[in-house]
Amino acid sequence: MPFQSRRARLVLIRIGAAVAMCLSLSAAMAADVAGFSLIKSLGGIDEYRLDANGLTVLLAPDHSAPVVTFQVTYRVGSRNEVTGTTGSTHLLEHLMFKGSENFNDAKGNSIKQFLERVGGQYNASTSFDRTNYLATLGRESLEGYLAIEADRMHRLWLRESDRQSEMTVVRNEFERGKNNPDSVLMEEITATAYQALPYHHPVIGWKSDIEHVAISKLREFYDTFYWPNNATVSVVGDIDPSQTLNLIKKYYAIYTRSPAEIPGIYTQEPAQSGARRVIVKRPGELGTLIIAHKVPNGLDKDQPALDMLDAILSTGKNARLYRALVDHGLALNVGAGVDLHRDMSLHVMYASLAPGATHGEVEKVLLTEIAKIKDAGVTAEEVTRVKQQYVAADAYKRDGTASIAQEINDWVAIGDWAQYAIFPQRIAQVTPADVQRVAKEYLNEDQSTTGWFVPVLPQAKPVLSQTKEGS
Amino acid sequence: MKPQYLVWVSLLWSMAAAATMLEHTHRSKIAGIDVITYISNVKDVVVITGALPAGDAMADPGNAAIPTLSAMMLDRGTTNRDKFAIARQLDNVGASLSFNVGTQSLSISAKFLKKDLGLVIGLIAEELRNPKLQPEEFAKAKQQLIGSLEASSQNTEARAQEAFARAAFPEGHPNHPHSTAEVQAAAKLATLQDVKAFQAKYYGPDHLTLVLVGDVPVTLAEAEIGRVFAGWTGGQSYIRAPQTAQSSSAREFSVPLADKPSVSVILGEPTGLQYRDPDALALRLGTAIFGHGFTGRLMSSVRDKEGLTYDIGAAVTEDSITDGVWDISASFAPSLLDKGLAATRRELARWWQEGVTDKELSERKQGMIGGYRVGLSSTAGIAFAIMSCVQRGYDLPWLDQYPEAVNALTKDQVNHAIRAHLDPSKMVLVKAGSVATAAR
Repeated sequence: MPFQSRRARLVLIRIGAAVAMCLSLSAAMAADVAGFSLIKSLGGIDEYRLDANGLTVLLAPDHSAPVVTFQVTYRVGSRNEVTGTTGSTHLLEHLMFKGSENFNDAKGNSIKQFLERVGGQYNASTSFDRTNYLATLGRESLEGYLAIEADRMHRLWLRESDRQSEMTVVRNEFERGKNNPDSVLMEEITATAYQALPYHHPVIGWKSDIEHVAISKLREFYDTFYWPNNATVSVVGDIDPSQTLNLIKKYYAIYTRSPAEIPGIYTQEPAQSGARRVIVKRPGELGTLIIAHKVPNGLDKDQPALDMLDAILSTGKNARLYRALVDHGLALNVGAGVDLHRDMSLHVMYASLAPGATHGEVEKVLLTEIAKIKDAGVTAEEVTRVKQQYVAADAYKRDGTASIAQEINDWVAIGDWAQYAIFPQRIAQVTPADVQRVAKEYLNEDQSTTGWFVPVLPQAKPVLSQTKEGS
Repeated sequence: MKPQYLVWVSLLWSMAAAATMLEHTHRSKIAGIDVITYISNVKDVVVITGALPAGDAMADPGNAAIPTLSAMMLDRGTTNRDKFAIARQLDNVGASLSFNVGTQSLSISAKFLKKDLGLVIGLIAEELRNPKLQPEEFAKAKQQLIGSLEASSQNTEARAQEAFARAAFPEGHPNHPHSTAEVQAAAKLATLQDVKAFQAKYYGPDHLTLVLVGDVPVTLAEAEIGRVFAGWTGGQSYIRAPQTAQSSSAREFSVPLADKPSVSVILGEPTGLQYRDPDALALRLGTAIFGHGFTGRLMSSVRDKEGLTYDIGAAVTEDSITDGVWDISASFAPSLLDKGLAATRRELARWWQEGVTDKELSERKQGMIGGYRVGLSSTAGIAFAIMSCVQRGYDLPWLDQYPEAVNALTKDQVNHAIRAHLDPSKMVLVKAGSVATAAR
């Protein structure tokens, strides 16, 4: 509902850092609480399974401030939608704030009433592979929030009147996205790159589906995917593990597993047999270039090397794309990253064109930089620099409980929360040869989708005009 | 949970926090700089937030782009090393350092590991004191500024904000910004001599504040600051403008932008209040009841019940150094613009005429106090709170007194502040986007 319906990002989810740093989260003392099975402990995080229904629980004690971030991640995203129901995951996320049997506006204890009364910072978001709900709040308010989250997992109100009013809210969210030509371009590139996988359609959905999806379809979605065995609860912050597990048991153990298996996705993307191109023409001032390549899923062995490649290309003033494009006056900004998915992911390189630069010359320079890496590789110094950045990033991510929870959430979406701790180790193993190899293997023209945003002269000049004055 | 219980819990917490905040803070004057350190529980991480009075409002009449161009030149090379060497030093240790220009301040932001404290403080001093100011780098900075302004010229929210602030504040007031077109034109004419003159006049220790938060080695940090900034002189104070007169009549402006499916709207007026003025906190509390979060009246009615917008809210801003502004910001589809504005004005009128209720007051107080406390759970949040405290003219004990000040506010104070400093019949309305089709 709230303020970020995430779609394809142009930056890599930079998760994790050196494993030694992860351990500085309070050394996790795995709790022994009846009804829970300890699955594993890694990087200061303990994973439990609630025996009653298969709910996954991740506890990360961190006593640096008297606050807690509580998060529920449902393993359902826009990948679970089909024609006619696109955007349903996101619309359902909005309706999750309309009240449940025991917590609602009429009772004065709805989720927003509770969280705003205690000063909690809260949000929810939907992506291709997951939906999450989280709040950061004082530790004494944890039980109050937990009770509400548990209630709306199973006892959500789903009313047609709410769908009608929320549909127009979501439609305005959709329209706001359309104000930005770059997000329109990215949407078209994604739709072109993916032909069969459901990543083809935007997370927010097609406008006609947002407007017309029936409440019965949303109910069907809720009844299919909102079950404990399809959810992961993460609790980060000033907690006592045993007390926290007992609270979770109190509110979640009353539910059963889903009566049917959670449906999977069996669709596979067919091989791409040639370069694809899209052009978006709209009013604007400066152009944009995006070159995307499909790469393996988020857990693939080559993701650390791709991550390293992207940092070498685009992080800091010494990055290759910065030097070649920004420093030479061809671009205002550059970036590179992978939007990690549970299935085939999307590697993206972009450049915002500087005044006077042409799409053709910027594309040529960008591809030349990639060719250089394919031909000559990267330097040991570049690889070492990125590894050092990971070491620092790991310390930074302990600065605030919400950032830890968000990173865990991203890895849960892809299929393995433990990558939060493991991925930095994998980065530490990357060699210059690995980086050259993945550039050669994945950044090929025949696997590419290239998009240009070409600004056209606006009909209306953006000139301020006073239209009315009165008392 | 009953509100009375929440009051009790929050008060207990604020009392506990009172000792903690101050105990962890150390303030001293070093090489002419106001240096504040705060030791938090995070390990190995330090953030620095700095503020120097050298913002856009300090631009000479001749060239509106100079404050921003002056800041953009800081990390483009010093007399000791070029920009790539600077970037390499930071990148090699995963540290970040940036300079940004706001209305009145050049802000400094750095994040790094404790072991790199000397490196980062040294670079801050080197970049502020000894920028190289090479012609070829200046040309690139000008091109990038002009380009980024071109890019923002199609952004409905940015255009609405600019138009609103220009209409709300009189020319010459620090909160009256230069137009995008003015800054673009000025950037083309700017010279390195202009930048040198601006830096010579405004860059100095006299009114510079540096806030260091995290795992700070205080003695070492203060010694390093003293060493690298020794002998630096100069600097100017913030601009304290006379209070803005309230508008005599309502005014409405349109910024037409083609092919924008969502219109950005701002409705508001100057408050005539600075943050420290007696009615200011009461007005903020009343505004929070009206326009913050999903339980604020605007979201709960215009979005939640009527479904007219994705985002709508109200806020008091730009009041730390001079008198500030109160506004509602929202987005509407062109086809729902009139209906959305009518609903917004209806809620505004009801709030202004009837005031807030006891229940709203009690709950929002707890929310503000709780939110303040949650905000202090990261180094960035603590640094922001300290810098805000200083810029608003408070002594550091205010950090602990804030919850009590909020809690002491009465309904009468809040409703008086709303009526005394706002007048819905005289507000400025700006619509930016495809407004030509708004009649549907």
